[in-house]
Amino acid sequence: MRWYYKLPLRLRSLFRKDRAELDLSDELQFHLQSQIDEYVAQGMDPREARHAAFRSLGGVEQIKEECRDSRRVNLTDSLLQDIRFGLRVLCKSPGFALVAVLTLALGIGANTAIFSLMDQVLLQLLPAKHPEQLVLVAERGTRFGDSWGDNDISYPMYRDFRDGNQVFSGMFCRFPTSISLGYGDRTERVDAELVSGSYFPVLGVTAAIGRTLTSDDDRVPGGHPVAMLSYGFWQSRFSSDPSIVGKQIVTNGYTFTVIGVAQAGFDGVELGYKSKVFIPMMMKPQMTPRSGGPSGGLEDRSLSWVTAFGRLKPDITIAQANSSLRPLMHSILEVEVQEPRLQHYSDYDRAQFLKCTVELLPGSQGWSGLREHMQTPLWVLAALSGTVLLLACANLANLLMARATTREREMAVRLAIGAGRRRIIRLLLVESLLLSAVGTVVGLALAFLADRVLLATYFSADSAGDFPISSVPDVRVLVFALGAMLLTALVFGLAPAIQSSQADVAPALNDRAGSAAGGKQVFLRKLLVAGQIALALLLLIGASLFLRTLANLETTGPGFSTEHLVTFRVDPSLNGYTDERTKDFFRQLTDELQTMPAVSSVGLSGMPILQGYGWSNPVIAEGYVTDPGQEQPATGTEISPNLFKTLGVPVLAGRDITPFETRPVALINESFARMYFAGRNPIGLHIGLVNEQSAAQDVPNLEVVGVVKDMKFKNLRDPAPMQFYLPYAQAVKFRFMTFYLRIRFDPRQVMETVREQVRHLDPNVPVVDLRTIDEQIGLSLNTERLVASLSAVFGALATALAVIGLYGVMAYNVARRRREIGIRVALGALRIDVLWMVMHQVLLLTGVGLAIGGLLAFALSSLIRSQLYGLQPHDPFTYVSAIVVLAAAACVAGFVPSWRAMRVDPVQALRHE
Amino acid sequence: MAKPTELVQGTLDLLILRTLALQPMHGWGIAQRIRQVSKEVLQVNQGALYPALHRLEQQGWIRAQWGESQDNRRAKFYSLTPDGVKYLRQEQAQWKRLSSAIGLVLDMG
Repeated sequence: MRWYYKLPLRLRSLFRKDRAELDLSDELQFHLQSQIDEYVAQGMDPREARHAAFRSLGGVEQIKEECRDSRRVNLTDSLLQDIRFGLRVLCKSPGFALVAVLTLALGIGANTAIFSLMDQVLLQLLPAKHPEQLVLVAERGTRFGDSWGDNDISYPMYRDFRDGNQVFSGMFCRFPTSISLGYGDRTERVDAELVSGSYFPVLGVTAAIGRTLTSDDDRVPGGHPVAMLSYGFWQSRFSSDPSIVGKQIVTNGYTFTVIGVAQAGFDGVELGYKSKVFIPMMMKPQMTPRSGGPSGGLEDRSLSWVTAFGRLKPDITIAQANSSLRPLMHSILEVEVQEPRLQHYSDYDRAQFLKCTVELLPGSQGWSGLREHMQTPLWVLAALSGTVLLLACANLANLLMARATTREREMAVRLAIGAGRRRIIRLLLVESLLLSAVGTVVGLALAFLADRVLLATYFSADSAGDFPISSVPDVRVLVFALGAMLLTALVFGLAPAIQSSQADVAPALNDRAGSAAGGKQVFLRKLLVAGQIALALLLLIGASLFLRTLANLETTGPGFSTEHLVTFRVDPSLNGYTDERTKDFFRQLTDELQTMPAVSSVGLSGMPILQGYGWSNPVIAEGYVTDPGQEQPATGTEISPNLFKTLGVPVLAGRDITPFETRPVALINESFARMYFAGRNPIGLHIGLVNEQSAAQDVPNLEVVGVVKDMKFKNLRDPAPMQFYLPYAQAVKFRFMTFYLRIRFDPRQVMETVREQVRHLDPNVPVVDLRTIDEQIGLSLNTERLVASLSAVFGALATALAVIGLYGVMAYNVARRRREIGIRVALGALRIDVLWMVMHQVLLLTGVGLAIGGLLAFALSSLIRSQLYGLQPHDPFTYVSAIVVLAAAACVAGFVPSWRAMRVDPVQALRHE
Repeated sequence: MAKPTELVQGTLDLLILRTLALQPMHGWGIAQRIRQVSKEVLQVNQGALYPALHRLEQQGWIRAQWGESQDNRRAKFYSLTPDGVKYLRQEQAQWKRLSSAIGLVLDMG
């Protein structure tokens, strides 16, 4: 085959270039010698023979070049040459190289940092087999029950789907919960996941050690005290113990056996929640006692708490599966509507219930609240960082074009001795690529550091110090950085390279450096600067909008005073307390805390405030005729007396609850009163909750004793929903209680004492989430803070880049026109005229840039409407202030060269050619 | 000497290959042999010879080996590869066809 000969030849040519060169020399030498010998044999004089031989051969160098050409290794050869030359050139101007590398590092680093976050939150698929086949099975419609999450269903419904469907090759469900885990001498709370036996098999996730949970581990409620560990948890907590299988751990007081460790890199199916332990679903009653009744919710159709997934059979699409499951859903509902709990709902309500449907959502990324929350902000940040990179490229292009004028002579010489235009373009692009490469390497380091800082500042770590997202760049991020490097080099390097290759040879060689070509170049550069100003304005406006949103959210507050407010949660039921004992525990703890001198007030709430947890129930009110279908559910929670006093929420009418209520009472908030008691005084009237407890036909039986001011519920943005509050002393179900303490002095000093008090009552009950309310709210605003701070940084960077770019072009222009200015002044122009000559260009450029930027901002800002709070995307104050700031900066930057122009000494200018 | 007739690149390749079909030879020898056999009519442009040889080598029709010339000097000898033999046969047939066609046209009428 031909390539046998070709390949080693080409390789030989490539690697033994020197050898090949010598060979060629020798060969030609032999030829020459032979020719000389012949001429001498013919009788010529030796010296003449030599000349004649050379003549007959022709140009030796040209022959060598042609031979080299035919060896066709020229490309690699000349590329290496270009690289070496580029390095030399850059080393000769270290200042320029440094500035360029820094600019690139900042730009590429910012983009890489954001991409790393985006990749993990938005792009990565589950580490399962064929994740694109996974779908999430959710219900939609009015369910009249408790729901843990928007996409959860009840366990019996999951079972029905699992057994009755035709479209899935397997289904699994899961439920995240934190447990107390004891091993060795330490007990701590860890994030865990209750999983069905089919979880690992359907996902296709294997065990790194031991075996996975299977359906055999999921048959009998309470009968499978086994667990799996995540790989990371096994490494950190169990020191990668190779004999971990068979060892015992204590979870929530029960002894479990470890049967295996999951494959590396698998942390469950919810991004932002790293499951450390996997426990069979049948152990729910043990893992969440006091929740869901005796079966733990496994048999309760009204409790939606599991997230269910199915794996589509190979040829079935989501749409097909959806339509196939509809009749199945309907038959499930037909069964459920017969349940006792729904018997005293109106016919209309029951009809609504039957209209519930199933919805299949793509499950290739699992399901994550973090993702929903961060999706838009991340895209916004990506757009911002991309714009900054664009600005950096524009600056670099400008810089390169300025340098090109100093290298005109060099380019002219190259062109003159025969370098093609393409060759020159390639040479310059290689230089740009070198800059880009170094910038990317530095940028990657910056990105890693930046991500670490961002994670530490804006994300909360779980108990093991793990962040939901990693700051270490993985392969995809590296590929992204590589792509950014190439693209950037092209964007900022191509235009200057093309321009350089078009240099006029003669004038450059005659040392009359580019006055003609300069004009075209300056126009291009001015265009770039106008573009930069436009983009900088865009970013400034964006930054301003986000900063003001954050400020608005922070000042709005939750509806109560957050100063010196400490909160924590205790859950004695996890330690096996009965309902009575739990009530006593809370009472005792309240009293003890109240006696502390630093504590001015103590209040309890069943559902923690401001987290969006609440038990939702349709309500009825005395004297309010609810049209069927208009029943709004209200959210409720159990509270202690003094809660509102502790929080500082005013009681607008009536009174707070007391410890000595004789009959069933309730408090409602403003929104509730507005809806159900509009124009009436609700005090003394009754409300009722529609559920199985009030078996009596919908008679409102809770007396309203007070109306409180609205508090924010889920986050600071959404308005308060209708809320009702019941005394916990009258509650039937008991779980945890969240304590709120108003502290007289600095809360931090008191936190340890608080922990002590709880420990004093019972050392085995852990105090969870002990922090100030300010911290809690701060956490909830973290995404807003992230976006606001990063956009401010980007806005500042963009302004700096644009202003520097403007300065650069103006300074260059002035330098170029020195002679002209000198002539003008010599002919009688006033200094002021000269100043205006330059300044009016500055103003023109800035004006054009601002106009374009303003229009762009106007068009694009509607896109971020959802991220704003308290102001419109077209808020005039924001626009005007951003324009003023940028215009001022630009004018200052432009003034400096104008001033210099004004001070040009005509004699000097005319003398200097 | 008569002015050397300009040889088109393809033709030079053909001549080189045919010359090498007899025995391995160095570049100088090839030029000599062509001159001799063509009775001094074809004077190979020496400037084109070596690029042609290198190109043919790259294309795999000939291969090179260093050896000793008649006067014990180090020289690069070229020889045909099996592929080169095939290629030569093809090109020779092509040439014959071409030249007889040209002859027919020139002899017409």
